[in-house]
Amino acid sequence: MNELLNIESSDLMNHSNDIKISARGVQVHYGSNHAIKDVDVDIQDRMVTAFIGPSGCGKSTFLRCINRMNDTIDICRVDGLITLDGADIYAPSVDPVQLRAKVGMVFQKPNPFPKSIYDNVAYGPRIHGLAKSKADLDVIVEKSLRRAALWTESKDRLAEPGTGLSGGQQQRLCIARAVATEPEVLLMDEPCSALDPIATSQIEDLIDELRANYSVIIVTHSMQQAARVSQRTAFFHLGNLVEYGETGHIFTNPEDPRTESYITGRIG
Amino acid sequence: MSDLTLAPGDGHSLSGDTVALKRRRRAEWRLKAYGIAAILLAGAALLVLLSSVVFKAVGALSESYITMPVELAADRIDPDATADPKIIYRADFNKIARDAFRARFASVRDRKVRRQLNDLISVGASFELAQKVADDPSLIGQSVDFRFLASDVTDLYLKGAYGRLVPVETGGTLGLQTDGKDIEIISDANDFDDVLDILKAQLIDQARSLRAQAGLQDNGVVEFSRRAADAASDSDRAENESLAAERAQARDRLLTEATDLEARARATGGAEALDRGSISALIRVAGSWIKLTEVGRNRARGTVLLPGDSPVQPTDDWALLLSDLPEKARKISDYQMAWIEDLQAAGAVDTVFNWRFFTAGDSRDPELAGIWGATVGSFWTMLVTFLLAFPIGVLSAIYLEEFAPKNRLTDFIEVNINNLAAVPSIIFGLLGLSVFLGFFGVPRSAPLAGGLVLALMTLPTIIIAARVAMAAVPPSIREAALGVGASEVQTAFHHVLPLAVPGILTGTIIGMARALGETAPLITIGMVAFIVDIPTGITDSATVLPVQVYRWSDFPERAFEARTAAAIVTLLVFLVLMNALAIFLRRRFERRW
Repeated sequence: MNELLNIESSDLMNHSNDIKISARGVQVHYGSNHAIKDVDVDIQDRMVTAFIGPSGCGKSTFLRCINRMNDTIDICRVDGLITLDGADIYAPSVDPVQLRAKVGMVFQKPNPFPKSIYDNVAYGPRIHGLAKSKADLDVIVEKSLRRAALWTESKDRLAEPGTGLSGGQQQRLCIARAVATEPEVLLMDEPCSALDPIATSQIEDLIDELRANYSVIIVTHSMQQAARVSQRTAFFHLGNLVEYGETGHIFTNPEDPRTESYITGRIG
Repeated sequence: MSDLTLAPGDGHSLSGDTVALKRRRRAEWRLKAYGIAAILLAGAALLVLLSSVVFKAVGALSESYITMPVELAADRIDPDATADPKIIYRADFNKIARDAFRARFASVRDRKVRRQLNDLISVGASFELAQKVADDPSLIGQSVDFRFLASDVTDLYLKGAYGRLVPVETGGTLGLQTDGKDIEIISDANDFDDVLDILKAQLIDQARSLRAQAGLQDNGVVEFSRRAADAASDSDRAENESLAAERAQARDRLLTEATDLEARARATGGAEALDRGSISALIRVAGSWIKLTEVGRNRARGTVLLPGDSPVQPTDDWALLLSDLPEKARKISDYQMAWIEDLQAAGAVDTVFNWRFFTAGDSRDPELAGIWGATVGSFWTMLVTFLLAFPIGVLSAIYLEEFAPKNRLTDFIEVNINNLAAVPSIIFGLLGLSVFLGFFGVPRSAPLAGGLVLALMTLPTIIIAARVAMAAVPPSIREAALGVGASEVQTAFHHVLPLAVPGILTGTIIGMARALGETAPLITIGMVAFIVDIPTGITDSATVLPVQVYRWSDFPERAFEARTAAAIVTLLVFLVLMNALAIFLRRRFERRW
């Protein structure tokens, strides 16, 4: 294990400009259930990485390990090493709250706070003290909404409740809320599964734009979506990372028979 | 799926005339009918309860006054003309008030009857007179018209609680003749027939009850005769025979009496006496009141209750009035009825809205009693309860729901909180008695003690309601907050708590409303004491609304019945207001997600 870690950390040094998140030997247990088995993966910076796999394969669980959302579940235990920019995020000195500001998350179901659009976006910057004045905050809100491609639709109704928006707008508001804290990584847990095709395509376009500034990880059930938006794809099956590589390569020329079965619709 | 395996037309008809279908529909109709019947029954019960309470309470909403000129002689109040309230208050205003009434009804000589005259006004009236004079000493030496608060009995009579005086139609000319102390009354028509009929009906009733008693005696005769026949010894037989003879004698005496009464009832004419057990018949003629003591068909004897101004000449202008109840069945005497009617005819009686009831403290005299003391006591008690139970309850709920680890200790605490909510309230009262009063020395009967006990009682309700409200906040909101880097405390206070506020407030107000209506635990810590003063703080002796209801319901004076009902209505109004506030707050703060 030690040896392995040494090799991998030297590997990390070599690619430090490219690799944003690195996982080595990650195991997750929910009580007696072994949900993630020995996952090693390197996530590139400024790229969209898709996690695909059948339901219950552990892709969401692994995603939630990256911003330590699993900490809130009492029976969940995470072992192994996950680094963000080479720093162990499970080190005792790391505050999970600060980590989550750096690793933003967008959830399956749009979940805006029952507050105004403005307050939804401004909440993160406020609690992290990112804005010194109201003007600063206004700038952050506008920038975030622009990044989430929601500014034109919402600029005249910032005081209206976020819950009054349509489903696709709500999800973009959640993305705006996530980017408002200036994260480096965006985790998206099936962000389009509750949306109609038009809203889905808007979000997909947005994800493509977000790639310019963030390292994006998206969990999806739709292989077409993975193929459309991601540059790299990881296939999970029964808690194992089966295959990880270039999206085109995975979809056209999978190496593992299980990947092929899943992509062609034989398991799932 | 199974439909697929069935051949078409094998019993699954859509027309709805199969037996099974009819049975199902009947069963469903029956269930709905039971439900509607249950609701109607519950609604009717509630309606009956509320209407009876409200109907009774109406009597407490007015009070009566008797206006009477009163001589404020300087030598009796303030001989040295000091105008010092202390000296004025020391004067015997009771006697001054009594003298005012004696002057009005100068004919009253008998001491017993005079006492009845004093009972027309409240004992509080003379104190009010003293207050008026102390406030304005310039009144001393004058004769002023003062509105004396009527006593509870007077007030109840005016409200018809003891029945009304019902006029009987009369056609004759009335002639009066003084015969010693009594008065001989003659009418030239049979105007007293009605009274006589009533008295004769009473005789029949009496005869019936005598015959029933005779029947019992007859049973004794039969029994003792049988024992005599079965007796083993001569002495035994003799004893039983004598007992049987005794019974037979008693039976015969009763039967004779009954026969006599029936004969009197059947006889036309004759005269019957009126006593305290029969209804009262009063004659009002030319300002004087006469009470009949004996009536025949067209003549009667009577005594003067209230003499008129002048001797009465034969006249057509007279009235015969009958009371609903016999004198011994009501608290108001015939004399008092005559005086009140006389005062009312003179325009000296007025009835106004009873503000006193809402501004006064408790009193032994119903006409002086009010609920303000109990209301203020309830306020202080609820204040203590709220200030303790709300923060402790909500903070406990936040910790248990949001931060506490799920382990055996927290499970144990949770189970016990739920158990506490089911503990009978009297147990909390006994706990308060031994711990707060006995150990910590909190003052007895004080809102502080009551509030502490009720806070203990309300805590579990608030904790459970707050936990339920917080658990109902969707986890997606928590995840969203945690996802943008809010800490658990920030998540709880910025997001979960605001969304749970309507539920928490509702639970708190429901718990407080329960505490407001609580009696048993407060009785054990002494809040059942008789307290006249309005409490000014949480350590003053006080009582609360439900305890006031309990106390008044136990008082013998009949006027407290209306006051009890009015206090219940007041309590209900507060409870309804609190529940309305709960609904309002829930609507106001409710947010959708």
